[in-house]
Amino acid sequence: MISQFSGISPKGDLILLHKLGEKLNNRSFLHINSTLAGGGVAEILHRMIPVLRDLGIDARWEVIEGDERFFDITKKIHNSLQGNFENITDDMWQHHYEVNRRNAERLNLDADAVLIHDPQPAPLIEFRKSGRWMWRCHIDVSHPLKEVCDYLLRYCGKYDAAIFSVAKFARAMGIDEFIIPPSIDPISEKNRELTGEEISETLNKFQIPHDRPIILQVSRFDIFKDPIGVIKAYRLVKKYNDCILILAGSPATDDPEGEIVLKEVQDYASDDPDIHILLLPPFSDKDINALQRAATVVLQKSLKEGFGLTVSEAMWKGKPVIGGATGGIPLQLVHGITGFLVHSVEGAAFRIRQFLNNPEMAKRTGEKGREYVRNNFLITRQIRDYLSVWYAMENKGKSVIEL
Amino acid sequence: MAEVKEPFEFKQCVSLLKSTGKKAKSLRELRDVIAVVSDESIFHHTYQYFLKGHILEYTNDFAHWAGESLEERALSEHFSNIDPYAFKNMDELRQELLNVIDSYLENFPEPRGAMPGDEFYFNETITLTFPVGIRVKNLAEFLIAIKYIDAAAIYYHFYEARIRLGVDDFSKWLEDSLGKKELSEKIRSIDLFMHSIEGIRDHIIEAVEKNVRTGMEAIER
Repeated sequence: MISQFSGISPKGDLILLHKLGEKLNNRSFLHINSTLAGGGVAEILHRMIPVLRDLGIDARWEVIEGDERFFDITKKIHNSLQGNFENITDDMWQHHYEVNRRNAERLNLDADAVLIHDPQPAPLIEFRKSGRWMWRCHIDVSHPLKEVCDYLLRYCGKYDAAIFSVAKFARAMGIDEFIIPPSIDPISEKNRELTGEEISETLNKFQIPHDRPIILQVSRFDIFKDPIGVIKAYRLVKKYNDCILILAGSPATDDPEGEIVLKEVQDYASDDPDIHILLLPPFSDKDINALQRAATVVLQKSLKEGFGLTVSEAMWKGKPVIGGATGGIPLQLVHGITGFLVHSVEGAAFRIRQFLNNPEMAKRTGEKGREYVRNNFLITRQIRDYLSVWYAMENKGKSVIEL
Repeated sequence: MAEVKEPFEFKQCVSLLKSTGKKAKSLRELRDVIAVVSDESIFHHTYQYFLKGHILEYTNDFAHWAGESLEERALSEHFSNIDPYAFKNMDELRQELLNVIDSYLENFPEPRGAMPGDEFYFNETITLTFPVGIRVKNLAEFLIAIKYIDAAAIYYHFYEARIRLGVDDFSKWLEDSLGKKELSEKIRSIDLFMHSIEGIRDHIIEAVEKNVRTGMEAIER
């Protein structure tokens, strides 16, 4: 497994992974989340567990079970941690705890290190048996609903450490708080190299001509991803440069607001034959990969963003990327070096024109972006960081650790 | 090519980022936190700036924030001019940062606060160091290794070493073990604030290649 990353991931990361594997050899590392499939956490765990085992670590992954009410409650907790108002009653918190208590009876929680992902299984800390427990928060908690956050901290504050994706998500919890950004998997279907034929296949499937530059944004149809702003920017560009715009995203059948935004985008695009609005079914990873590789310039013009890993996905494909200066996007786009950060429709249009008119600059930016992702946002770095946190907790108090 | 008894062993470091839970949304708040935050945090935001691979006109996170988030160019220039290696200890460096802020607040109108989400977040790091499995015994091997190793290894030997030894590891080994005084001085004179790590790598390669070439020409004569 780990050998698949040779020649892709930085050499130092692979060396450190092997060294940490030797130090933590045969020790048990338990991951617990709330879903086996769907969502970024499950996706990364599917890839990470075999790598950990390959490194000699006894890695396990357990999934908590819950009834419909439990998941309804945890969805509300999730939303309120992202700043939406939800009323979580004492009874609901009690059910949240109770479901975790039942899971604690069912699951083997005995491990040298336990990594609990997100709020759903957070109360499991009450049933800790041994080992070092870490709580991993994948959510944007920069503006949470205070009461919900405070209640959850009753559990999270009992962990040995917490892990957040971005520094601004961390809170003063009184425990060690590490910052570990998410990552992309370079050998997954969404990011692997594609042949020219595979790319053409996707373009033909969606009847997208490849005779002109392609501007692409891949994202849900959500007002915070600003699809209307993207069309406005495209129209400003179109006055100077002939180009095609693709807005690709999954249909938001479970999100009424998503449908409204999609309708609005379709209406706004009107009958412009050069705007392609693609509704991709779930698991369209290869098509997304092909679209990103076919694009001349990639946009992620978000107004609000968690981390925005689509930025790293496009950068990894050597594409010049323009992103909204929000959430985790500035961590990926070093302005003027690995891409451009913009604050307006006009800014986005200006940067698109710059890239379209300076292919050399676009190429250089794409190359720098790819190297930046190689060094910072590949899955091997994330695994390295998880093991490093575990090892650092075993060497608590040291700010420099020699291996 | 002469070989030495003491080979050069390449190492690398990786930093694990930790939040201090402290943040600042204005220059006054930045001052208040700098005054009390841990030495590790000051260290991270100054000495370790180059490990992040930033390639802008700044030389530390405070200058970066002042320039990009507060958009206070003069303040950013003052911060960028601070050379952390010029101070004997972290207290002196901390005091210099405070002096820059105090002087700015005395002489300029109060800067606006940072936009929400753009505050300064004080972090610190735990550093893991490890050998990368490369040992070299002469200049030719050193040249190949410099081209091959990760940027983080260059950081460890060129930047981080100055905190341990007061001088970078490369020039010290070249002088002490290979007797290459001139080459050593050339490498020591590379301005570490004016280049990215890849830029430093290029300068070292250029200096070593020139030295190897001169050595070969001397043999031919």
